[in-house]
Amino acid sequence: MAEVRLVDIEKKYGSFLAVPKQSLTIHDGEFLVLLGPSGCGKTTTMRMIAGLEDITSGDIMIREERINDKPPKDRDIAMVFQNYGLYPHMTVRQNIEYPLKLRGIAKAARTKRVQETADKVELGALLDRRPSELSGGQRQRVALARAIVRTPSIFLMDEPLSNLDAKLRVTMRAELKHLHHELGVTTVYVTHDQMEAMTLATRVAVMREGRIVQLDTPKKIYAEPADLFVAGFIGSPSMNLIDGKVSDGVFRADGVNVPVDLPNRDGVVLGIRPEELEITDDATAPIGGQLYALELTGESTLVTLRNGPVSACARGHADFEAEINSPCYLTPKPGARFHLFDRASGERLDGVKH
Amino acid sequence: MKDRLLPYWLLIPAFIIVLATTIYPLAYSFITSFRDWDLTESRRPGGFVGVENYAYAASESAFLNSLWVTTVFVVTSVILTVILAVALALLLRRTGPMHTFTRIILILPFAMSPALIGVSYRFMFNPEFGVLAQGLGAVFPALQGVPWLADPLLAMGILVLTDVWHWTPYMTFMCLGGLASIPRETEEAARIDGASNLRIIFGIILPQMRGVILVMAVLKTIFALKMFDQVVTLTGGGPGTSTETLAYFIFNVGFRWFDMGYASALAWILTAIMMFISIWYVRMLLSERKMATA
Ligand SMILES: Nc1ncnc2c1ncn2[C@@H]1O[C@H](COP(=O)(O)OP(=O)(O)O)[C@@H](O)[C@H]1O
Ligand SMILES: [Mg+2]
Repeated sequence: MAEVRLVDIEKKYGSFLAVPKQSLTIHDGEFLVLLGPSGCGKTTTMRMIAGLEDITSGDIMIREERINDKPPKDRDIAMVFQNYGLYPHMTVRQNIEYPLKLRGIAKAARTKRVQETADKVELGALLDRRPSELSGGQRQRVALARAIVRTPSIFLMDEPLSNLDAKLRVTMRAELKHLHHELGVTTVYVTHDQMEAMTLATRVAVMREGRIVQLDTPKKIYAEPADLFVAGFIGSPSMNLIDGKVSDGVFRADGVNVPVDLPNRDGVVLGIRPEELEITDDATAPIGGQLYALELTGESTLVTLRNGPVSACARGHADFEAEINSPCYLTPKPGARFHLFDRASGERLDGVKH
Repeated sequence: MKDRLLPYWLLIPAFIIVLATTIYPLAYSFITSFRDWDLTESRRPGGFVGVENYAYAASESAFLNSLWVTTVFVVTSVILTVILAVALALLLRRTGPMHTFTRIILILPFAMSPALIGVSYRFMFNPEFGVLAQGLGAVFPALQGVPWLADPLLAMGILVLTDVWHWTPYMTFMCLGGLASIPRETEEAARIDGASNLRIIFGIILPQMRGVILVMAVLKTIFALKMFDQVVTLTGGGPGTSTETLAYFIFNVGFRWFDMGYASALAWILTAIMMFISIWYVRMLLSERKMATA
């Protein structure tokens, strides 16, 4: 187990700045998720920790030891790749055994460890198959087993579930979470899927264009997104973001009137989560318009209304029914929270409790 | 009714061309191989002699010599070319301006005509004015005045050298293609797992290249079995018959001694050898593929 510190690290590919100078501390035993859209520098950051990519400047410390110049094998890490990176010419057993073999562990001890690890990830019966004879989920388990068999002090996982189908992804997510609980190993996990990040993470680092824009617990990031980007990225369906302006202590847009605690200004974005809105017949409700679409998701119905350029979505009761284009009003549930952002900079202008 | 037959009518010209240019000569030479036909005596094939031509080959020392020469040539040239190509590909697989430049100039030897290669090497190894002979002599005084192409072993060595020089670039490109198809992650995973560079090459990369290397070996073997051009322009089969390959020997039998029946039989022996090797390789490839995907 170990703490990892990235100190002022920066990565340039030629003149292209992939990761601008920034610092990040990953606590001992935590499950830290790097979350962001594709191309935002998550993999690059992880590969720098692994030692697969040189860092342009800055330091990487593991257990307070500077490891910039150490080769990957001496960093006491294990990595799980998005497309598994299994050795196709070796059986499952040989794949899992390989890191132990390279570290000169005796045959008998190896066999025992391989068997234990394989049982832990439910691969015990498949040890003599080749990767090509396995399903996606099984391959991912082999990659996991190969990572944990060596009991490293840090796990690095780069989108390990993104090649699996939706259902398997949910199952494997739970398995990963259980595994982390059981082993307690410091884990850095890369994903572009906010749901994965929210469910797995101890803390989430939301990245945008190489920069970490918010680093916090999933709860905090959900409840208090630091800026417009995070607000729109976290949550499914995503937060309603309505363009408007503030005058006389009221946020105004077409059909929207929400009292806020802000001086008069233009270019304000009001945010509220669909699950914090409910449908009402009260024509004086803060948000009003015409019903645009109803989408039944099973446990609830997503209700979208429109009014000119304004569009807002609420998570309503599964039984909710109404005519499309009929008038529709949304009101915040008790305890719901409005978020206010500056349109131009995306910065948070401070939230108000309703 | 007419419409259904039309495609076949349209195929007939192509069919006739293939028949006339490949099937007919093949069949003709096959039949000729069982006949007595001395071109100096008759413009038409003579009578059938059964397997006499084949039986004669089995006992003729000049033929057995050419078989041995060909075997030595094929084995050394295939092994050297494949090893060199794999090594070069491993060096060149990274991208960068130097690598790209090297890749470009690397293709030049392959662009040269084999006959021309033979002539140039013949000049370069001329003990009196050859640039290589002189250069080697200057660097290693012991090699001064060595009659390179007059020594059976050295002549064979130079013949192999020209062929390796000619073919290595092409094989390197094949190998680069194979390397590019190996997922980068397997190598990186091995690096993290603690494998040294050598272990990564021999334990991770080369095993994944088995299919490509096998194909390279097949192609190279088939081309080496037909070695003819450089023998004509570099050594003329000499000194003596020490570099007389099968293809060169067949040419001599047919077009110097005009023994068409015997030459046809020899050509079919060469064809049979190539077919045998091809079938064996294909079977290896199929089992390889089965192993990789099953
Ligand atoms: N080897 C490389 N050379 C040049 N640019 C690269 C290289 N690797 C990644 N990049 C660039 O760096 C940025 C971040 O890439 P990456 O870390 O892979 O993103 P992510 O994993 O978040 O999708 C991207 O714009 C990508 O194009
Ligand atoms: Mg990535």
